[in-house]
Amino acid sequence: MAITKLNQMFDKLKSAGKKTLVAAWAVDSHTIAAVSDAIDRGLIDGTLVGDQSMIEKVCKEENIDIKKFTVIHNPSDSGSATKSVELINSGKGNLLMKGNLSTDKYMRAILNKENGLMDQGAVLSHVTVVENPNYHKLLVVGDVAIIPLPDIKQKVAITNYLIQAAHALGIEKPKVALLAASEQALPGMPACVDAALISKMGDRGQIKGAVIDGPLALDVAIDKESANIKGVKGEVAGDADCILFPNIESGNVFYKMNTKLSGGEQGAVVAGARVPAVLSSRGDSTLTKLYSIALAALMAK
Amino acid sequence: MKPIQSLDQLVSHVKDLRLNKRIAVACAQDENTLGAIDRGVEEGFVTALMLGDEKKIREKCAQQGIDSSRFEIIHIPDDRQATREAVRMVKENEADVLMKGLVGTDQFLKAVLDKEKGLLPPKAIMSYVCAIQVPAYNKLLFVSDTAVLPFPDLNQKIAMVNYSVNMARKFGIETPRVALISAMEKMSEHFPAHSDYALICKMADRGQIRDCIIDGPVDIFLACDKESIEIKGVPTPVNGEADVLIFPSLEAANAFYKGLMLFAGGELAGLIQGTEKPIVVMSRSESAMSKFYCVALSCLMA
Repeated sequence: MAITKLNQMFDKLKSAGKKTLVAAWAVDSHTIAAVSDAIDRGLIDGTLVGDQSMIEKVCKEENIDIKKFTVIHNPSDSGSATKSVELINSGKGNLLMKGNLSTDKYMRAILNKENGLMDQGAVLSHVTVVENPNYHKLLVVGDVAIIPLPDIKQKVAITNYLIQAAHALGIEKPKVALLAASEQALPGMPACVDAALISKMGDRGQIKGAVIDGPLALDVAIDKESANIKGVKGEVAGDADCILFPNIESGNVFYKMNTKLSGGEQGAVVAGARVPAVLSSRGDSTLTKLYSIALAALMAK
Repeated sequence: MKPIQSLDQLVSHVKDLRLNKRIAVACAQDENTLGAIDRGVEEGFVTALMLGDEKKIREKCAQQGIDSSRFEIIHIPDDRQATREAVRMVKENEADVLMKGLVGTDQFLKAVLDKEKGLLPPKAIMSYVCAIQVPAYNKLLFVSDTAVLPFPDLNQKIAMVNYSVNMARKFGIETPRVALISAMEKMSEHFPAHSDYALICKMADRGQIRDCIIDGPVDIFLACDKESIEIKGVPTPVNGEADVLIFPSLEAANAFYKGLMLFAGGELAGLIQGTEKPIVVMSRSESAMSKFYCVALSCLMA
């Protein structure tokens, strides 16, 4: 069954085989508490990579039973990231999480040409699942964080990640809206041109497992009434499951608007590496971290 | 109206409508033109206004056994002047159709394209559409652009679609199926036309292009052969029963139509579109029937 609320991911995970999360440089209370919480809820098994004594200290302070984790000692942040990636590559983990190290070092370990997590030619991108009280289901959107101005190939890759995430959420044939400022096919707007191309690739089965339509303006994509008023036909208009943004600015504004101004929640993963990776920041709420872990676990193979 | 499915039906339709159109022929001392015009007059839908060298026109008529008294002959021996006068007559509504006789295409088009005195409205796109009849297909095929635009850009392709759809609708095909032709149906960066095609399809989805069912890229098989759709498993609304074929380049369109004429027993009726009034420009190597069909088509579209 398709998930329509983020917390329904938890039930779905309990009925699936448990995946192992590897947290890189998991030496701070934020990271350890989030992994601990996910383990307690039965969502994942957890491996913490980092300085053993620091991990022990935090567990003691936060009153967390360290025995629930597999702890792998590594004294440095970037060393821990490399070690975590190595664990994943040797089959000892199914999803990766960033601990208390800089995003830079974390991504460097993932992107490392020889020992990283990227297959040749793979596109690293970002998928966010948004729950908004004013929409009747979840919205899977991208890329709000990694690729500033995706070209057509990157857009196709992002579209595929959105579809994979939607499938992981139990949405069998997600409706993908390719966003632009207008639903008209305007040759002067690059977003409209790319959208028309990707749409046709969907028609021809070059992108599978979804119904794809674009260009669509946001109102037409998620509001049936707007779609009707503007006379836009098709399955996607007014009922989108996924939204591909033409650039990072539009996507970033959309997801921040969702949490900051309309009481929405979200979970997010980095997609395109061999395993899904969680890239939460300290500013994220506990719930957001948990949703991100759950989403990564659902997308993990 | 019952759709017209052959070029003979086109002729009967023009006769049924009791059309009679005034065709101004520039430099009419041309054996290629005289026969087709004469037959149009004979069938009753053409009034012939022959501009050119009167003596030569009468001589050529006599050689072909044509009674030149059925024509209104306007004696202007100079090619350039005759052409410009023919254009003027059409522009000022003294004639309904312009036709090229024995004058170089360059000189003819120069008069047509003249900014002040010519027949092309500002920003209008001139293109060529022809209706082709082949025994192997159960209806007519409207094909563009076989003659004017070498590498149509997006706007020119849109104009080609609109002209072809408009013509097909005049033939009683209310919602023609338009196939945007390529070598394959998958989207590929190696085929620049595909990106235009995807946009055109989306424009049709959004009502920016109307009155037709359109899909592309598709190859000729998917466009015109239902069996291929089953074999390839590519669903397309054109459904192997295309009425209109839009080609990515003049070379492709030209080779397609000439192949049909030469090897598949084809006949055609073609016309320049985009001008204020229809213009007939025929290739000398067209069959006598095709030349006559061009004249009939121009009367329908005028």
